Amino acid sequence: MYSLSSRLLISVSVLLLLFFGVTIAVLDTAFTEAGEQARRDILDGHLVALLGAAEPNDASELALPDRLREPRFGQIGSGLYGELRNVDGDVLWRSKSALGLEIPEGVIPVLGNHLFARESLLDGTPLLTLSLAVEWEFDDGNSKSYVFKVAESLDSFNAQIAGFCGQLFGWFAAVAATMLLAFSFLLRGLMKPLRKIEAEISEIEGGDRTSLSDRFPTELIGVARNLNLLIDSERARSDRYRFTLDNLAHSLKTPLAAMRALLGSENREDFGDRFDEQIDRMDEIVRYQLRKPASPVAEKLVLKSVHVEKEVTRLIDGLKKVYHDKRPNFEVSVQPGMQFRGDTGDFLELAGNLLDNACKWCEKNVRISIVPSASERAIASGMVLTVSDDGPGIPQDAADALLQRGMRLDESTPGHGIGLAVVKDIAASYGGQLSIKQSKTGGAEITVSIPPISSAKSDS
Amino acid sequence: MRLLVIEDDATLRETLAQKLGDVGFAVEQAADGKEGLYFAEEYPIDLAIIDLGLPEMSGLEIIRRVRAEGKTYPILILTARDRWEDKVDGLSAGADDYVVKPFHFEEVSARVNALLRRSGGWASSQLEAAPGSLDMSRQELKVNGEVLELTSFEYKIIEYLMVRAGQVISKAELTDRLYDQDFERDSNVIEVFIGRLRKKMDPDNTIKPIETLRGRGYRFALERNQSD
Repeated sequence: MYSLSSRLLISVSVLLLLFFGVTIAVLDTAFTEAGEQARRDILDGHLVALLGAAEPNDASELALPDRLREPRFGQIGSGLYGELRNVDGDVLWRSKSALGLEIPEGVIPVLGNHLFARESLLDGTPLLTLSLAVEWEFDDGNSKSYVFKVAESLDSFNAQIAGFCGQLFGWFAAVAATMLLAFSFLLRGLMKPLRKIEAEISEIEGGDRTSLSDRFPTELIGVARNLNLLIDSERARSDRYRFTLDNLAHSLKTPLAAMRALLGSENREDFGDRFDEQIDRMDEIVRYQLRKPASPVAEKLVLKSVHVEKEVTRLIDGLKKVYHDKRPNFEVSVQPGMQFRGDTGDFLELAGNLLDNACKWCEKNVRISIVPSASERAIASGMVLTVSDDGPGIPQDAADALLQRGMRLDESTPGHGIGLAVVKDIAASYGGQLSIKQSKTGGAEITVSIPPISSAKSDS
Repeated sequence: MRLLVIEDDATLRETLAQKLGDVGFAVEQAADGKEGLYFAEEYPIDLAIIDLGLPEMSGLEIIRRVRAEGKTYPILILTARDRWEDKVDGLSAGADDYVVKPFHFEEVSARVNALLRRSGGWASSQLEAAPGSLDMSRQELKVNGEVLELTSFEYKIIEYLMVRAGQVISKAELTDRLYDQDFERDSNVIEVFIGRLRKKMDPDNTIKPIETLRGRGYRFALERNQSD
């Protein structure tokens, strides 16, 4: 892909080429037409002079004197030629300048009319000619028709035009080159902040810098700020992964040690159960780590919109299959078209865990309600997700304990504690909270409140 | 009942197949996605257990294709992925339930029984059809409250017939679904076992639990106590 500078330079060059090309063509045409008009006027003057100088001779024919007022008629090869012919095309007089040349007879104009034409000599020299057919009445009352013709070589005129064009082209080329040079200098200046960002990112990659500086033009300051946000969240994510992995590896060591001890122990009583217990412990640790939130809210730059109604419907359709025998009655209250700004996986984890718990514990009824929460400066609304059931409920003192990882109220329903701990972690990663209380029907009512993402926060 | 297990981990697959075989299922095994899809589309099976992360073709793809083919047998997902997003994807693709790895065999067995029962239209874990009742998890058949002593093959037959109570089951279907592949397929054996079952369940020939429909097959004839 071409660089921005190359694209701009190529575009500007093409535009300049077009502009100057059209300008040169227009000027050339105008200059040529004006020059030709001037030539015609001059030829007209010469023709009138020839007419004025023509006198009848003794043989009752028109004749022209040897010397004319225009000296170029008398100079051989001067480029200005005169000729008088009778109606039969016989040359009665030809100027001295045309000595040795054959001026083409050309088209004879209608009597009394002028006729301009472009003709050429036998050697190819281009000519501009003017012919006039006249009826000459002699003193004896007779009259005869004659054709006066003047011609001028266009060699010098064409050379003038070519010179003009050459000059025009030269000047315009010089102007275009100067403009392009000035533009490329300007561009270099404009691109400097971009190159600075690039250099600073390279420094960050090389570990010589931790974030982008804030000395950028207004147009780029937002980009730099967002890049810094992304870099920070990437760094936080990498730290978090390292921490999680470290935590996971260490927490697995204890059950592993216990299993090895069991294998080495001579006491084989309840060996299977005790071994299985350690496997359950490891499974619980791994499951919790795997289901933790995908990303903290600092990564809102990359967050997408989740279509809440669609995902809840998919979830409930799935749960209806899983709890086919129990057939819980779902009451769903979701604002149509509502969007949640976040990760789809996180949303499904929030709603999925709460609905799954509600299905496990309910007598018959499960209720889910999701409403958006907004604030004045919000760029994306938050949500309040409430799931309640008509089961036995959770006593308040146990509710706090439930929010701790891995705590279970009822061993017969495995994973309850993990589910809520995961919900709590995900809510916290979006800056939200989890609260547990008793529902109107006596069961548990769990509410997750995710605050809106405010523009003030995004500027921080 | 004939089950299909598609799982790429050999230890897990073979152990699962062996344990399912121990509790009376005929089990087909496939080690990768393509082989699994072939079995799932071509074999007469009553339920498929499908791992989601398979070589050659993902479990999700198999489920989609099997459902697109119009197969309606229950599908149980085995998955190492515990996030709801993955579970919902599997269930939306057409699976009926899921078990997360690692699991206890009893959990898989219970879900398999529940799915089979559901596919026959039974709502509770006890298949009640007075005076008979069948407990699939304990593999017990009672008539008038008395537990009957059945051989494993007799149990397989009565379970298959009772799950599909009211439907006519041909001898060929019974042989297909109940025999292991390496077993010699002989439909006369079915007649012998049906005869024995009738004697055990109905020694006085009064309740007539299994009807013979000439040329068509057998039907469990007792009325379901609850069905939905």
